[in-house]
Amino acid sequence: MAGTPRAAYPDAMETINLETDVLVVGGGVAGSMAAIPALEAGLKVVICEKGKVLDHCGSIGCGVDHYLTVMDTGPEWDTPEFLIKHVPELTDYIVDMAVASRVIHEMPRVFRKIEALGVDFRDRQTGDYYRLRSFGLPGAYHINFDGTDFKKHIGERVRKGKASVLMRTMVVQLLVKDNRAFGAIAFNFRSGEWYAIRAKAVVLAAGDVNRISQNASGLAFDSWHIPYNTGDAHAMGYHAGAALANMESVEATLTPKGFSCQGLNALVSLGAYFVNRSGERFMFKYDKKGENARRAVIADAVINEVLLGNGPIYLDCRHLSQEMLDRMEHTLQVDRYTLPAYYKQKGVNFREELVEVSVSELSIRRSGVYFRGSGLAVDTNAETSVESLYAAGDCATVSGGISGAAVLGHIAGEGVVERLKESNGALPAIDTRALEAIRAQAADHLTVERGMPWKSFEDATRQTVTDYVGVRRTDKGLRLALETLHALAKREPALKADDLHGLMRVHEAKNIRMNAEMMATASLARTETRTGSAHWRLDYPEPDEANWRRFVIVERGADGPVVRTLSTERPLADAFARSALTA
Amino acid sequence: MDTKPDAVHNPIRIDPEACIRCNLCDWICPGDLIYKEEDNRATLPVIAYPDECWYCGLCQTICPTDAITVVFPEQMVRNTTDVKSLLGKVVD
Repeated sequence: MAGTPRAAYPDAMETINLETDVLVVGGGVAGSMAAIPALEAGLKVVICEKGKVLDHCGSIGCGVDHYLTVMDTGPEWDTPEFLIKHVPELTDYIVDMAVASRVIHEMPRVFRKIEALGVDFRDRQTGDYYRLRSFGLPGAYHINFDGTDFKKHIGERVRKGKASVLMRTMVVQLLVKDNRAFGAIAFNFRSGEWYAIRAKAVVLAAGDVNRISQNASGLAFDSWHIPYNTGDAHAMGYHAGAALANMESVEATLTPKGFSCQGLNALVSLGAYFVNRSGERFMFKYDKKGENARRAVIADAVINEVLLGNGPIYLDCRHLSQEMLDRMEHTLQVDRYTLPAYYKQKGVNFREELVEVSVSELSIRRSGVYFRGSGLAVDTNAETSVESLYAAGDCATVSGGISGAAVLGHIAGEGVVERLKESNGALPAIDTRALEAIRAQAADHLTVERGMPWKSFEDATRQTVTDYVGVRRTDKGLRLALETLHALAKREPALKADDLHGLMRVHEAKNIRMNAEMMATASLARTETRTGSAHWRLDYPEPDEANWRRFVIVERGADGPVVRTLSTERPLADAFARSALTA
Repeated sequence: MDTKPDAVHNPIRIDPEACIRCNLCDWICPGDLIYKEEDNRATLPVIAYPDECWYCGLCQTICPTDAITVVFPEQMVRNTTDVKSLLGKVVD
């Protein structure tokens, strides 16, 4: 392979046809954990992944410092039942309790399975689990650990299980017939090879939606979570006819101003404070738990302080013991390896000085609230409203960080194994004309002379989201945003890619815009405010408990996304057409 | 180390003296930014898309000879953005 990007488009290259039992889209934690039960059952598994090394791809390919789990060690708070009891309040009552309960019940089993894969969750010094309480949770469910090699152990298990892994490969469209998924079309952005993959089941595990709004640095790829997760699963699921929910809710965190990086959990669980320009520790004004409030509340508090003119906001660690500061420094480096280098280049010592912080860019994930994911609606087996199409991790409606991804991924894998025990008939043939149309469109992106660069297209989406869909929403602003997003959609066929890598980015840019449109549509429908600035309608500034304990469900309509609502007293699966058919 | 000013900031600096042309940085980059010609010990890795870097440092951690340094641009290190500008426009 050449050492420089390939601009030439191998148009004459044959499409490679593959057939498998399970196709997994995304080789991160959720996708890998879905692959494991399928491999254990002797199924053939193909994984498509945009990265190159399975041991280091996905959101936490670089490492992770916390793992949320019930362990069932004895005390009441450590039982699934206790945590489940608190989930409605933790999610402001917008949650699919059927799925969340299954995930929480499975937590201890999946945790032990991951330990058996070789992940060491114990504290290196004490040999015991170092469990911390944070983010409004009613117990010390977060294990603080050195997860530098977390993904390596999981990736290793998948490789040893002999999954076929197509690396540097992006899935661009699902194959669906009669509301049943049977594979996908993908391409390798290094070689230019195209794949038509037929599968008995497809698991979408492509993560969250980043690069969708602006941050302090103005650099699109400087994002809190991995910027190469661009809502590919959400967009492809939508186009395939799957139902999505909670798309109106956005998530932000606090980051050192200028560097959108992870680390808030480590900071708050180990005792850091946040202060405003007057030196006031203001979090208690917003929540009695102070810095131990849910992430959504912490971000909302800072947004409010800034709008009240109380910024800049600072991180304050000066009161902490040397021992705690040592642990914090180590933990922060596990979560984002480059943070110490950043502080060094900045010339700041967070142990002794205030560090200015900013609200990060917004993303679509779980709106700063555990167990309320924004994405593809799933049933208790992680199957979406499209038969044989599963979703897990940050692209599904129950999301809970790494453990949420691991557990729902594992549930999806087991669900696939169960489904494939039933014979569901021969797989449909691939529509060759549709496949050729996808390839022809890709060729157009590479050859168009005066097309719109994908970067300009993405910038326009980000600006629109930041101005009208992000934090402060109104009916008029959201309609303005939708107008712009619709106008941008018309420009998609003429998007320009300079090379195969750019062609991958073109597809990502389209997916980001699609997600923005779903977010704006759902936000317009929810005429109330819920979870502070996770969904803040200036024209409906209060929560409406009487009318809005409901999910907003987004689906593909004749002219774009359409919404309907469902009471949160019912599981989202009650809204699935396939449930009605089989009921 | 390459210290030439860049039109686009180069976040990944590779020391050509230390680099052993092993391809690991190309392999590990989650964003497909680093391109290294395989089986050619004469060529250095190329940072093909510097403005798409996540600043994760995986390339630096994997490099067997510590030939890579991640360097942050000015707008990340000394940021002057008004945070309010990220919080949307009020449309009545």
